[in-house]
Amino acid sequence: MDTLTLDDLSGLPGLLTEEEALIRATARAFVAEQVLPQIADHFERKTFPDELVPELGALGYLGANLTGYGCAGVNMVSYGLMLQEIEYGDSGLRSFVSVQGSLAMYAIHRFGSEEQKQAHLPPMARGQQIGCFGLTEPDHGSDPGGMRTFARTRGNTFVLNGTKAWITNSPVADVAVVWAKLDEDSHKAVRGFIVERGSKGFETPPMKSKMSMRASHTGEIVLSDCVVPKESMLPLSNGLGSPLACLNQARMGIAWGAIGAAKACFESALAYARTRTQFGKPIGSKQLIQDQLVEMALEITKADLMNLHISRLKDAGKVTPQQVSMCKKNSVAQALRIARMARAIHGANGISLEYCPVRHMLNLESVYTYEGTNEVHSLIIGQGLTGFSAF
Amino acid sequence: MNIVVPIKSVIDVELNIRVQEGKIAKDGMSYIISKWDENAIEAALQLKEKHGGEVTVVSVGPDRASESLRKALAMGADKAVHVNDPAAEDSDSFGFAKILAKVAQRGPFDLIITGKQAQDTDMGGTGPILAELLGLPQVYNVIKLESDEPSTLKLNRLGHQGQEMVELKLPALIAANDSLNEPRLASLRGIMAAKKKPLDVLKLADLGLSPDEVGAKGARVRTLEFQPPKRRAAGKKFEGDAEEVTRKVMDLLANEAKIFA
Ligand SMILES: Cc1cc2nc3c(=O)[nH]c(=O)nc-3n(C[C@H](O)[C@H](O)[C@H](O)COP(=O)(O)OP(=O)(O)OC[C@H]3O[C@@H](n4cnc5c(N)ncnc54)[C@H](O)[C@@H]3O)c2cc1C
Repeated sequence: MDTLTLDDLSGLPGLLTEEEALIRATARAFVAEQVLPQIADHFERKTFPDELVPELGALGYLGANLTGYGCAGVNMVSYGLMLQEIEYGDSGLRSFVSVQGSLAMYAIHRFGSEEQKQAHLPPMARGQQIGCFGLTEPDHGSDPGGMRTFARTRGNTFVLNGTKAWITNSPVADVAVVWAKLDEDSHKAVRGFIVERGSKGFETPPMKSKMSMRASHTGEIVLSDCVVPKESMLPLSNGLGSPLACLNQARMGIAWGAIGAAKACFESALAYARTRTQFGKPIGSKQLIQDQLVEMALEITKADLMNLHISRLKDAGKVTPQQVSMCKKNSVAQALRIARMARAIHGANGISLEYCPVRHMLNLESVYTYEGTNEVHSLIIGQGLTGFSAF
Repeated sequence: MNIVVPIKSVIDVELNIRVQEGKIAKDGMSYIISKWDENAIEAALQLKEKHGGEVTVVSVGPDRASESLRKALAMGADKAVHVNDPAAEDSDSFGFAKILAKVAQRGPFDLIITGKQAQDTDMGGTGPILAELLGLPQVYNVIKLESDEPSTLKLNRLGHQGQEMVELKLPALIAANDSLNEPRLASLRGIMAAKKKPLDVLKLADLGLSPDEVGAKGARVRTLEFQPPKRRAAGKKFEGDAEEVTRKVMDLLANEAKIFA
């Protein structure tokens, strides 16, 4: 009997334009050829496939949904489909693409001066300049408004002091978008600054002992009397709302991405269940295993359709932050559940990097926490429903 | 250098192909550009990048063929021609070549590049007939291509036991082997730009062809029926110690399969 695929269940291909379908197919081919054969090895050795960066640039994947400055200007649905294929490969590589495009490039595109855009966006789109986005601090994660990084005016310069932690790409970044408070300690005083590698007092030590996102660079940004010219400030950034707008931009893509990891886990579990024999029969012939596979397929289908619907709203300019929060929260929480179920279906093999679930499962623990933790998204949606802020 | 690349949209061979009432079920399948045609597109784009000019891709087929043409445009082709006419369906190689010849003759061209065969039928007939109809020299199964000047190509073609190095004066037709190059993936910018590139949709009448010259009516080679491939019989399993198993296997190879006879 011919068996069904996830696309058969969701009917997703029928809801895409010809272009969106082509973007999906191309990203899939890229991941199959260049990512899947090597990624488990990078994860094990805790290295990042640096040589893929120019390739990501050439394919137009960096800042793909921005317009002008060498960016492709695709819609949210196309962008999401592309990220889903990349995260089918690995969440670390997808994190690179998200941080470069939706956080660092987006911040410059939206809040930067024309000179800043000209100087940074085209080389960042080509992958010749790597960017990072420094908001989180060791003592201020979910509550970034409490940040203790300050930018004090001194003549024609700003002097930056503070430490950012858990910053994707920071150890290899050529430019960092750093969020800091101007002289006073309030949400309103938050501004973005472009700090270039080589600035005095700018260091980016890597985070140690990571058991998740091992195929991704994660580091600190340590600013000790780091002097940058006045023109490094993003002139249109204005208050905590500015970095939060960047996060909101990235979150929709992360929702799509996480389901890519879930799909990889599901497909691996399905193939394993159909061939692994115990008690004389494939384990996939057992009701308990089928029930788990069905549960996984159902959640993937629901998430895909919800992400598609909300992304169409975003493309029409009608999306709300609560809707984006629903997608991030649902997709990542379900992807993590699916990865754990898939891990278990593989038995002992499930803890080996020979199969993808354990790698995705470990990676998704980070995705669960970054870009607004699972709980923070409940608070956002909860406030929308009840009118009470529970932060 | 102006180059014409005929491309065929074929059922993705990775999928299960279903045969219904002697015909291949075409609905609900996904379609791809026949793989050797992708090599042909890549070769054309590389020549264009070197010498300038235009790459025109052509496909004869129903609505879905436009997807393959858009993909070729996204890879970097400049123009597309889609011959979309029910009367052209079920043409034999001769019929397809007649249509493609008319399309090629619409403008000046220096080179036609085809795949060495289609991925679904493995027939390999259309290219040679097209060369014949247009009075062009042809070089088949090309695995290496160099061109220092736009009027001449230096080619390596693959033979049974080795390679043949040839020089070819244009205009001409060449057919690509899949080791000729690594077809590029379409970039997002390419995909977005493809929307704005010209894709002409033509009927047979636009090409001065009558419905009974081509299609099922004009075909001299007619497909009688498709049959699903027979399932292979289950293999034999041998158990026991190595020596015993080896003896059994050797015995069967010699006496049943008779491979040493
Ligand atoms: C691999 C990785 C990459 C990252 N990349 C970046 C990056 O590029 N740039 C960047 O700026 N940051 C980055 N981060 C940081 C990430 O955004 C933060 O970790 C995240 O915001 C959570 O902050 P925290 O770790 O300090 O946890 P905390 O905020 O301390 O939260 C701890 C726990 O308390 C819960 N909690 C907090 N507040 C509440 C509340 N009011 N009510 C109920 N529960 C609450 C949280 O949900 C969580 O479960 C990255 C993190 C990781 C793991």
